[in-house]
Amino acid sequence: MKIYINKLIVVLIFSLICSGSVLSQKRQPEIISGKNGMVATAHPLASNAALDILKMGGNAVDAAVTAAFVIGVVEPDGSGLGGGGGILIYLSKEKKPVYINYYQRTSSEVNKLDYNGRDDSRTVKAVLVPGTVAGLTSALENFGTLPLSTVIAPAIKYAEEGFPVDETLAGIMLDNIEVLQKYSSTASIYLPDGFPLMEGDNLVQKDLAKTLRIISEKGRDGFYTGEVAEEMTKGITSEGGMITLDDFKNYEAIITNPVTGTYRGYQIFSAHEPHSGASIIEALNILENEDLAKLGHYKASSETLDLMAETFRRVYADRSAYIEDPNFGYIPIDGLTSKEYALSRLIDISQDTSKIREYRKTIPGDPINFGEPIDTLKDENKKVIELDGHTTHLSVIDKDGNVVSLTQTLGTFFGSGFITAGVLMNNALMNFSLTSKINNVEPNKRPRSSIAPTIVLKNNKPVIAIGSPGASRIIATVVQMIINLIDFKMTAEEANFAPRFFCQKFDDYLYVESRIPQNVIDELKLKGHNVQVLGDYDLFFGGAQLITVDPITGIYYGSADPRRGGIAIGY
Amino acid sequence: MKLIIKILIALCIAGVSTFKSNAQTPKYQQPVLISSAGQNADVALAGILFKKLKLEYKTANLAKESDLEGIKTLVIVPGFSSKGLGAAGISREDEMKRIKELINSAKKKKIQIVMLHIGGNARRGNQSDDFNKLVAESSSYMIVVSQGDEDKFFSKISTQTKTPIKLVDKIVQASDPINKLFK
Repeated sequence: MKIYINKLIVVLIFSLICSGSVLSQKRQPEIISGKNGMVATAHPLASNAALDILKMGGNAVDAAVTAAFVIGVVEPDGSGLGGGGGILIYLSKEKKPVYINYYQRTSSEVNKLDYNGRDDSRTVKAVLVPGTVAGLTSALENFGTLPLSTVIAPAIKYAEEGFPVDETLAGIMLDNIEVLQKYSSTASIYLPDGFPLMEGDNLVQKDLAKTLRIISEKGRDGFYTGEVAEEMTKGITSEGGMITLDDFKNYEAIITNPVTGTYRGYQIFSAHEPHSGASIIEALNILENEDLAKLGHYKASSETLDLMAETFRRVYADRSAYIEDPNFGYIPIDGLTSKEYALSRLIDISQDTSKIREYRKTIPGDPINFGEPIDTLKDENKKVIELDGHTTHLSVIDKDGNVVSLTQTLGTFFGSGFITAGVLMNNALMNFSLTSKINNVEPNKRPRSSIAPTIVLKNNKPVIAIGSPGASRIIATVVQMIINLIDFKMTAEEANFAPRFFCQKFDDYLYVESRIPQNVIDELKLKGHNVQVLGDYDLFFGGAQLITVDPITGIYYGSADPRRGGIAIGY
Repeated sequence: MKLIIKILIALCIAGVSTFKSNAQTPKYQQPVLISSAGQNADVALAGILFKKLKLEYKTANLAKESDLEGIKTLVIVPGFSSKGLGAAGISREDEMKRIKELINSAKKKKIQIVMLHIGGNARRGNQSDDFNKLVAESSSYMIVVSQGDEDKFFSKISTQTKTPIKLVDKIVQASDPINKLFK
C-alpha cells in the first residue's frame, strides 16, 4: 500500500511538473496522412481553407492560391498582397514542372529614390512593386480550375471579421514593435491601444478586406490599376517611396522553367534564379559525393554537421557571387548545378586545414568553367543584407497528384511596416546589394531572394514538396530536410522535428538548435567552429511545410513546422 | 512599573511603524533604468509606459554596472528573443551572465529591482523561463500581464519569496501599478 501511495505521489508530482510547462511544450510528432489531398501551411485557417477547396473538387493550384491569399491575412507578418514570391507547380497529367516568379520588382524610376540602406531598409523607401496578386491570379488562370471569387472568399472573411492572434504572431509583433509603431496606418491595426495585440485578441483588417473584394470582382486589374493602385501610389510616394502608376500597371509575373538537378536518383525541381533553387541543387550535388547515412545524422555526428556547414558556406558564397535577376546579367547556372563543379567544391572543403573557420573569408568558386564559357561578372566583395527575413511557405497535393510548392514574402517581418489601401507593403529593396555590380539596384529589376520552393520526384512521380521561410536560412533548412528524408529515411514529421543548424559566408557563427548534443557542439568547436546555441525549436531556422508521398501506397503525409503555428491536414 | 510603561510605549511605536510600512504600497525612486533579460524588444514597450507617465527613465538593452550610476530603481523586462540576441551579437549564456552581474551590482548598490513581464505567453517557455525565474526571484516587486501567469509561474514565486505581485490584463494597464510605485 505504502509503495502504491509513493508511486502515486511520484506520478502526481510528474503531472504537476508537466502541467507547469504547458506553455513551453511544442506539439508532438504525429502521423498526418491522406489519400485524396494534403495541405501544409503556417496557419490552421489557411490549411483548412485550402482543404475545403480540395474537397469541393478544386485542384492543388486552386487550393494553394486559396491558402496563399488566406495566409497573407492571418500571418500578416510573413506575406500578403504587398509582397511577392514564387510558386512551383508540378502538373501530373503533363508531367511538367512550371515556375512562376512573382517576386517584387523595382520601379522604372528607382534611380530617383534617395535610399540609404542603413536607415531606410524598414521604411516605405524600401517598397518594391508587389507581385502577389499578379502571381496568384496568373497561377489560377493558367493552371487552376475555380474562379478567383471562390478562392479569395475565405481571405476576405478573415480580413473582414478578424481572427484570433496566435502565439507565433503575438511573439513576432512584440519583436517588431518598432516597425509597427512607425506609421499610423499600421499602428492603428496592430497596436490599437498603443501596445501590440496579444495571443487570443481578434485582429481585424477592414481596409484589406475592401481591397480583397475589389480584386475578387476585377481580378488582377483591380489591384494594379484603378482606385487601389492610385491609393497605393499616393500613399507610398507621400511617405518618400518611389512607385508610379505605370509601375503597377506594367508589373507581370514571369512563367518559366524551374532549375533542375538530381540527388541520389531523385529528380529535384526548384526555384529559378534570382531565387535560390540553384543553391539547393549545388549543396545537394556536393553532399552527394559523401555517404551521409554511413557518416551518421548531423544531430549525432560532428563530422556530418561539419561537412554540411562547410558546404553551406561555400554555396552561400557562390550564390552571392553569381545569382541575380537573369534579365540583368549572365548567370553560370549550368556550372553552378553541375556535378563536376560540386566535386571541385568538395575538394576545396577537404583541402581546408584551417584551425579557425573564418566564415566571412569564404571564397566563391569558379563555376563558369563547368558550364558554357562566358566573361566573368563575379565580384568577391558582395554584401548580403538579409538578417531578419521572414516569409511563408505552403505545400499542396491533390487527388490527381498535382503538386504546388509556394513561398511568398514581404522581405522582413512586416516588411516596410507601411500600410496603404489596407495592404502591408514589402521592403524587398533591401535584398539588393548596394556595394556590388551583381544584384545591384536597377530599374524594373527583381532582387536575389533566398526563397526556394522545391519539388522532388522519384521515377517521374512526385515524392516531396518542400520549402521554408527564414531568409538566408531557407537554403540550409531545405537541404537539411531533403537529406533527412532521402539519406536518413525519416518521415515528414521526423524530418521537420529534427534539430537544425545554419552556417553561411556572411556571418560569424555556426548556429545550432539547443537539441544538438553538447558532445557534438564540443567537437565542432575543436574543429574550429564558432558555435552559437539558439532555442530548442527556434523560429530563426525557418518554418518548413512539407508533403511526402509514399511511392508504393500513394499515401500522402504532411508536416507543418513545429517552430511555427501551422498545421498539415489531409483527407 | 516605569520600566513596563517604557516597554509598552516602545512596543506601541514599533507597532505603529510596522503597521505604517505594511499599509502602504512600496515606493520606488527615480531615475529608473529599464533593461531586458533575454534581449526582447519589450523594453521599448516599457519605455512607452514610463514616458506616458512622465517618469525619469532611460533604457539600455545591454545595461551593465556602469549604467547604474545615479540610478535609484532598476526595472528588468524578462523574456527571451533569439532575434534580439542575434541583433546584439551575443549568446544566451552571455546574456544570462550579463543579467546576473547587473542584478548583483544593483543589490550591492542598494538599488531596488522591479520586474515587468509584459510579453504574455510569447515570453514564456523553455527559453524564457530561466530569465523569468532569475528576475522574479531577484525583484522586490513584480508587475505581470496575466496571460504570462496562466500557470501561476510568477504567482508561485511571489508566494515563495513573499514578493508583492500585481497582475494586469493588458500591457496598457501596467501603467497604473507603475504609477503607484513611483508617485
